[in-house]
Amino acid sequence: MELFRVGHDVYGQRVLEGIAWDLLPVFAGIGAVVILGHLIYKLIRGNRGA
Amino acid sequence: MATVVDSGAIPTSQAEAPGGRIERHAGVDRLFHWLTAASVLTLMATGLLPVLGVQFNWVVVHWSVGCLLIVLVLFHIVRSLIWQRLRTMWFSGAELARKQVGKYTVAQKLMHIAMTLMILGATITGGTMLAKMDTPLWKRDPYVLSQETWGAIYVIHGLAALSAVTLVMIHVYFSILPENRMYLRAMIKGWITRQELVQHHDAHTKQ
Repeated sequence: MELFRVGHDVYGQRVLEGIAWDLLPVFAGIGAVVILGHLIYKLIRGNRGA
Repeated sequence: MATVVDSGAIPTSQAEAPGGRIERHAGVDRLFHWLTAASVLTLMATGLLPVLGVQFNWVVVHWSVGCLLIVLVLFHIVRSLIWQRLRTMWFSGAELARKQVGKYTVAQKLMHIAMTLMILGATITGGTMLAKMDTPLWKRDPYVLSQETWGAIYVIHGLAALSAVTLVMIHVYFSILPENRMYLRAMIKGWITRQELVQHHDAHTKQ
């Protein structure tokens, strides 16, 4: 997976164009993992407390 | 009318208004919060939907709302430096040792720091990128910075946009949890009850 978008200028030199948009699902996934992790933590802690 | 609890230090004899309501967020701060939220969501939609293949004329809306966000950030910086206490948003040893909870919990402070970094990254780079835009106020000048510098600016701006996805997901999730419902209500209506304050916070801390 690429981290950056890279293009070429008029002289054929590589230029940095930005972050790779392929990373969008990764960042959404991190959010989902945190949320799921917290839900599981709450579930386990709730069961222990019961 | 509720009593303002700006720093977390609450004089017990005066803090409770009739009905036991204590003001947690002043109206101007709630307005700032929701305008910022609307701006960030609009910027995410106009910036990221085209990436996902939803094509529309997003540029004008994006930079216009970006300018609004810059104004909101400047307002917040001035307000927090002059009318609020910066240390309200920082950590004390007692808080980190879980012995004390000030106006904001450690988790809320961490979220604030993460949002601050994301929004500052987005607005500083976005504001710089306005130099590449033709607007009613100025003509574009893409040569004001080198190509390498523009590349770094695009990377930071994109990283802020992607981070916004993670942060908004986590922020919305934690704000709608039943145990945090009082904070959501406080951000809408402004107040928490004295019972909620006593249960979840140390009323006399200066943090």
